[in-house]
Amino acid sequence: MPPKEHAESVPVLTFPRQTLVSLLVFAVCWEALSYLAPYLGIPPFAIPSLARIAKAITTITPVDIAVTLARVIAALIASFVLGLALAMAMYRSDTLEKYLHPMIRILMAVPVVSWILFAVLWFPGVEFRIGFVLVVVCGPVFLVDTLDAMRSVPRELRSMMRSFRPTSIQFFIKLMLPAIVPTIFTSWKVNISLAIRVVTIAELVGAVTGIGHQLSVAQELFSVADVFAWTVVLVALLFLLEAIVARVEHRLLRWRA
Amino acid sequence: MTGKNGPPPIHVRGLRKVFRQTTTGQAVVAIDRLDLTIAPKEVIAIVGQTGCGKSTFFDLMIGLEEPTEGSIMVGDKSPSSDFDYFRGKMATVFQQDRLLPWRSALDNAKLPLELIGLPEEEQRERALTWLNKLGLGAFTNAYPHELSGGMRQRVAIARAFSVQPDIMLADEAFGHLDEVTAAELRDTFLALARECGSTAILITHQLEEAIAVGDRIAVFGKSAKLLADIHVAQWDARDYGTLREAIQLTLQTQQADARLARG
Ligand SMILES: Nc1ncnc2c1ncn2[C@@H]1O[C@H](COP(=O)(O)OP(=O)(O)O)[C@@H](O)[C@H]1O
Ligand SMILES: [Mg+2]
Repeated sequence: MPPKEHAESVPVLTFPRQTLVSLLVFAVCWEALSYLAPYLGIPPFAIPSLARIAKAITTITPVDIAVTLARVIAALIASFVLGLALAMAMYRSDTLEKYLHPMIRILMAVPVVSWILFAVLWFPGVEFRIGFVLVVVCGPVFLVDTLDAMRSVPRELRSMMRSFRPTSIQFFIKLMLPAIVPTIFTSWKVNISLAIRVVTIAELVGAVTGIGHQLSVAQELFSVADVFAWTVVLVALLFLLEAIVARVEHRLLRWRA
Repeated sequence: MTGKNGPPPIHVRGLRKVFRQTTTGQAVVAIDRLDLTIAPKEVIAIVGQTGCGKSTFFDLMIGLEEPTEGSIMVGDKSPSSDFDYFRGKMATVFQQDRLLPWRSALDNAKLPLELIGLPEEEQRERALTWLNKLGLGAFTNAYPHELSGGMRQRVAIARAFSVQPDIMLADEAFGHLDEVTAAELRDTFLALARECGSTAILITHQLEEAIAVGDRIAVFGKSAKLLADIHVAQWDARDYGTLREAIQLTLQTQQADARLARG
């Protein structure tokens, strides 16, 4: 057996001491401010005490987390499949690439808010609206990233592969796809954080479930504690998803030095 | 897979390849009216200076490029127009190992076998056999980055031989290795080609390597045309010094040398 001393450093959610300290300092300042608020002319609801926030966190409804998570994951999978399929088609056809490229540039320049307004004006179903916004925002990122990665697969490897005369399907499955796996992971990480931020805005419009909806309820009730609690959930969710992707990435990219 | 009747002969007739440079639009004649016949199972070295069109000839031979004029026929088939016909019948070793970095040595060696759709078990078995022949039995699970340059090239050779090709092509396959490793690997390569009964075409810019290869040496001049076609068997081993000088002189003057016209 060859020497294989892979330092098995699986990335996990770790909290080094510095992180804990800075979180603690923030908590202390926040708590101090919440006591001092009345003397500083800040309305009392603006900076709730940590105790109130903790209480708000206990009232978090898991079903809303599940719904938002399901929307994000479904939309990311759809975006990925669509983006990759189009990227493959564009890689094979220069003509298609020339026609689609400007459109994609334009799509990517449209602000999220415009997409949400379009979605509301165009489509009746809430789920479809949210899915549409997420896919139209995340899909092009997958497309552009994977197309770029396919383009930069070394010429040498492509001609080696072709010299063994694969079918076009074999060429993609045995060369192009594995070659772009590292980029696919990077793209997923970028899109997860994008999707988590966009989904809440999309859910503000018309949804009756999900974290975005809960945020808008909290806003109507002037409950900063609830906004804070849901925000904590969102951030935690993002970190969790990123950690999962990093783990899978680590497993799949063991071949890298 | 060598056919029952062994590899077919190769006929190169009036081969021309002209490239148009992307920036200047200028035409570059990489190969100019090349005629060459290679017999079945022949081991031929093609030698010539850098830039004389050897790699272009290689690409035309394996069908990745189309001739501008003239033809290459392998038996009655053309490597470029009958591209799929040659799946599993031609194999290549390049200057760089060109291994897939995400595949282990074993999985790299069995790549061509996957492409011809052999059953999984047979793929493994055959790839292992060839890795063993190349002395890599202990490294089948290693990734390319865990192997030395020489070992990686061995994997590339195992990969090429795994299909037991009719025609084996190598483009400067040993040039980047140190002399000892290169000589060792070249001998292994030649022995395996003979064992397989493949026609072998070895491209090199090194005279020593060309002479070491054996059967036949084709000397390419600039804009690949045939300057000399030497059947080494007709030279006395003591004469190799003269042969070497004669080829060198031919390459320098770029004119077919009368002294080489023995064959
Ligand atoms: N794709 C190409 N486009 C334009 N010119 C090329 C191309 N490939 C090779 N050439 C030119 O053809 C000539 C022969 O190149 P090559 O076959 O690589 O030589 P060698 O392998 O003998 O060093 C060179 O002048 C090179 O610049
Ligand atoms: Mg070359």
